[in-house]
Amino acid sequence: MKPAPFSYHAPATIADVCELLAEHGDDAKVLAGGQSLVPMLALRLTQFAHLVDVNRVESLAGVTREDGVLVVGAGTRQRVMERDAGVATAVPLLARATPFIGHFQIRNRGTVGGSLAHADPASEYPAVACALGAEMELAGRGGSRRRVAADDFFVGTWTTAAEPHELLVAARFPVWPGPCGFAIEELARRHGDFALAGVACAVGEDRAGLALFGVGSTPVRVGAAESAIVAGASEADVAELAVRELEPPSDVHASRATRTRVARHLVARAVARAREEAHAAA
Amino acid sequence: MPRLECTVNGERRRADVEARLTLADFLREHCALTGTHLGCEHGVCGACTVLVDGEAVRACLMFAVQAGGASITTIEGLGGPDGALSAVQEAFRAEHGLQCGFCTPGFVVSVTALLRESPSPSESEIRDALSGNLCRCTGYQGIIRAVQAAARA
Amino acid sequence: MSGTSAAGRFVGQSVKRREDPRLLTGHGRYVDDVMLPGMLHCAFVRSDVARGRIVACDVDAARALDGVVAVLTADDLNAHAGVMQPTMLMAMDGAPLRPLAARDVRFVGEPIVLVVAESRYVAEDAAELVAVEIEPEPAVIDPERALEPDAPLVHPERASNVGAEMAFPIAPELQACLDGDAVHVVTRRFVQHRHTPVPMEARGVVAAYEPTSGELHAWMSTQNPHEAKQAIARVAGVPSHLVRVESHDVGGGFGQKFFTGREELTVALAARRLGRALKWIEDRRENLIASNHARADIADCTFAMDADGRLLGSYIDHLEDSGSFPVGATGGAGALVGMLFTGPYKCPLASMRTRSVFTNTCGRGAYRGPWLFETVAREQMVDAAARAIGVDPLLWRRRNVVPTAELPYTMPTGLPLEMVSPSETLEQAVAMIGYDAFRAEQARTFAGEGRLLGIGIGLYVEPSTGMMDPMGTENAVVRVNPNGQVTVALGTGSHGQGIETTMAQVVAEELGIDIDDVTVVQGDTAVTAYGRGTGGSGTAVIAGNSCRLACAEVRAKAIEIAAHLMEAAPDDLDIVAGQIAVRGTPARAMAWAEVARVAYLETARLPEGMTIGLEATATFKAPGFSWSNACHVCTVEVDRATGVVQILRYVVSEDCGKMINPMIVEGQIAGGVVQGIGGTLYEHFVYDDDGNPLTTTFMDYLLPTTAEVPTIEYGHVETPSPTPGGHKGMGEGGAIGSPPAVFNAVADALALVGATIDRTPLGPDAILGALAARDS
Repeated sequence: MKPAPFSYHAPATIADVCELLAEHGDDAKVLAGGQSLVPMLALRLTQFAHLVDVNRVESLAGVTREDGVLVVGAGTRQRVMERDAGVATAVPLLARATPFIGHFQIRNRGTVGGSLAHADPASEYPAVACALGAEMELAGRGGSRRRVAADDFFVGTWTTAAEPHELLVAARFPVWPGPCGFAIEELARRHGDFALAGVACAVGEDRAGLALFGVGSTPVRVGAAESAIVAGASEADVAELAVRELEPPSDVHASRATRTRVARHLVARAVARAREEAHAAA
Repeated sequence: MPRLECTVNGERRRADVEARLTLADFLREHCALTGTHLGCEHGVCGACTVLVDGEAVRACLMFAVQAGGASITTIEGLGGPDGALSAVQEAFRAEHGLQCGFCTPGFVVSVTALLRESPSPSESEIRDALSGNLCRCTGYQGIIRAVQAAARA
Repeated sequence: MSGTSAAGRFVGQSVKRREDPRLLTGHGRYVDDVMLPGMLHCAFVRSDVARGRIVACDVDAARALDGVVAVLTADDLNAHAGVMQPTMLMAMDGAPLRPLAARDVRFVGEPIVLVVAESRYVAEDAAELVAVEIEPEPAVIDPERALEPDAPLVHPERASNVGAEMAFPIAPELQACLDGDAVHVVTRRFVQHRHTPVPMEARGVVAAYEPTSGELHAWMSTQNPHEAKQAIARVAGVPSHLVRVESHDVGGGFGQKFFTGREELTVALAARRLGRALKWIEDRRENLIASNHARADIADCTFAMDADGRLLGSYIDHLEDSGSFPVGATGGAGALVGMLFTGPYKCPLASMRTRSVFTNTCGRGAYRGPWLFETVAREQMVDAAARAIGVDPLLWRRRNVVPTAELPYTMPTGLPLEMVSPSETLEQAVAMIGYDAFRAEQARTFAGEGRLLGIGIGLYVEPSTGMMDPMGTENAVVRVNPNGQVTVALGTGSHGQGIETTMAQVVAEELGIDIDDVTVVQGDTAVTAYGRGTGGSGTAVIAGNSCRLACAEVRAKAIEIAAHLMEAAPDDLDIVAGQIAVRGTPARAMAWAEVARVAYLETARLPEGMTIGLEATATFKAPGFSWSNACHVCTVEVDRATGVVQILRYVVSEDCGKMINPMIVEGQIAGGVVQGIGGTLYEHFVYDDDGNPLTTTFMDYLLPTTAEVPTIEYGHVETPSPTPGGHKGMGEGGAIGSPPAVFNAVADALALVGATIDRTPLGPDAILGALAARDS
């Protein structure tokens, strides 16, 4: 199971990466952690004439705290999210979601940006980003930068709003102020597998974020459910609202009916736990 | 062809390699270190696990050229000079943590990394941490006992 | 007869394995580690259609690619191939197997073109350039569909899709029972889904043909080097004395590598035709799609019982999906299913029908207990029947199991059951798990919290050692070297069972020498006599007893030499710890090594007329039947909200006679149990309705991990076997008792709310579906 041939580039700066992406367009693909891309190349499910390795771009990795925001460089390894005390304090959902991602060997190489840019509908980080109201920072040709809200960034299965020549350089997670509670729940067939259904939930002062994953082609936020949380509705009612219009996929691992049923159960659990933590923090 | 310079089990290696050559294939074919095994080549079974700059990674999911400047340790590099077994290797032997041996290098490397980071893991921590390594012969019984024995050693 | 016999110096001890130091340090020698100068690499182009006509096959672009040495089609190879069926089944009227598909394809994954190139990377590049055009035709995927008269023929050369069929007549008394004379008549259907052995090392071969000498030297990942040699010789057209097969370390087999695969034989043939050294290493996608599958069975079962649930008669109608090109004795496995169906229970009347059908899917092959569906169907039927008549499944088993006092017992199908202990293992296992206490806990948690806990039993007897020549025999050469160290050569093919260790234990014990002075050699047809390979739960019994017989000869000769040299009577001598000494007079002793030196190098000192040297060859033929047995008991919790099954505890009480190495015995059981758990809860090889495989990587074909398996608890019972060492086969047993134990535990939990299951796997869909069905 060997990949098809490609030209390999290992630029040292973001600008160089964008140059290459602009030059080669659809023939080029960013190689970050490789934990999602390389299996697809090995299986020859996809091939690219050019791979642009971003692991040498030092400025791409690292976590910094700005006012009210945790800025996670796209090249930051997933393991940092589960080990760094600063991350656990500022954005607990990020830290708590990370152990669900595959296995520690994968998290040693996999990057936060890679997971977000890959946009697998059953992965955790996109849902966390949506639930918290994060922003994606993209770099383009000639040093241009723009930000895209998470809700607008994830467009479809493995599809984001990034243009072919753009590089995801950072994810900006708001640090929720005041007494808050966070919970992530997921059901997978085995430990570390992609979620059959999952929920990222954040409960704050007069605000709530709820994003489901594994149940659509992107993370699914249901505004009505979030409002219901704020309004103090029961967990069961929130869950009912959250799954009412879901149209999850069916595959060998779980049917639509199973995913919907499990999602309802997980929403109720996540909301209860997040509320409990928020209450305790008050 | 890109040039690769790295260290493998303490030895400097230099080679011109095709970009698409995986790190696993580089180790097996160019370095004649066949202890790193290919069980799936798509990053699930863990048989190809090696240490890159001390961290456990799946060698089938890295290209050799990405390892430039890195220090790689394979299963062959874990024991002592005269074939002496490391504490982890001894524990696997004592607890019958291997049968056919094909998944074993990946487990031993992963467990070595795990115990360096977490010297006294609970049974459930062991099970979680090793869920990324597949074995078909042992039913994992001896493997879990081996990790517990190595942690006590 | 509970408890285990006292251990000897080596036999009965958990001796650490010889194999481990090299395997733990990355110095094993698996087939992909073999690298020959000038070796080329192979990749196959395979069908992506389940059934269809090959209308075009253009290899020009592939041939022109840099680094490609040859691109071979059916036209290049098929006419030169000998019979590809396993040697002992050569005469079998089976599916027509050929190296490469020629005019049509019969399953997705069937090999069509063989690419030979300088590296596997280039071979795969070239494979992508091969343009095969296949016109799809309606495929037969469902085995019941395959039986219908208007179903397309998987093999047009044959008259129907039925590959094998066997039925016993139904005696009038049995018919009367089943028709309602009995107080209780319960009928159920059970379906076991398709799954596959998945050794961690996939298949592979290196075949090197040297035209000037006419020799073909192959290295293979195989359980059976001698069979590989015979098959390669026949298929490649090389005289078998010029074929050598080596197999050193093998990364698991579980039956998938017992017979020699189509691809290995095709590559060997290609090596012969090209006069080159060729390597083919199967990748995981190929292994999942095109290496033999297993366990796709359906059974309609009927139990006729009296008012207390005692069996009066039983019937099983079994349908086995054998895929397109089944390998080995898989049609024969159906017969065993029918004949073993009543298992360890008393049943005066029984009958059966078994049919094996072809479908346009990957062919079926042996997988750890190929006949085990008899236990799956029976044990699941036992619980269903017990529940139907309001009897606890344990009580039902106690009422029906053949008591030890009534052994030997002739099964209704004529098989003689003896020297087994099903009732003892049943009692030991339920005592270990605390059956009654669990029932109380189950009731409490259900009443108090609505949680679903369940307990399940899997009780079985297993005919070990195999009843077919040559599977019932093995050859051992025990050769004492001039320095006294011993080399044992066996025709086995260890792939994880620790044969280098266990057989050394037997020989050291028998000869009275140190285990470190014994080396076991296997896996090289140039060095070992023809043997049965390793599989079918036979090594301890057959190879072990061959070693014993050879050791007896060597020992007798050594004693005779020592007696002669020490002027003592042979009957007065013992061998202990490498010393041959006069009993009671330790000062009158000779070192074993000294006797060996005399035998080879100081032959004038030998007794008159004695041949020089110190070695013996012996063959042991297993008795027709030696039975092993075990009882598995499992407790689970079924999550009503998510459909997830969690295993709480898992107990095995097993009887494999005298154990050579208890650590290895438990390891074998553990591996089998986890394969059974995997097969019942997680693993599922899925085809869509057109025969396209949907589970083609480890992301979709789910093997259990450390996080999904329980800690297994073991109990041992020991009844002797009618063979010299008292051993019985046990390599497969762990896989036999586990599927129904897990299934029954889940069924028991679901029964609390009136939900039922009748098929596997038991993932969330199945569980939630069962719960929902009850609601509607």
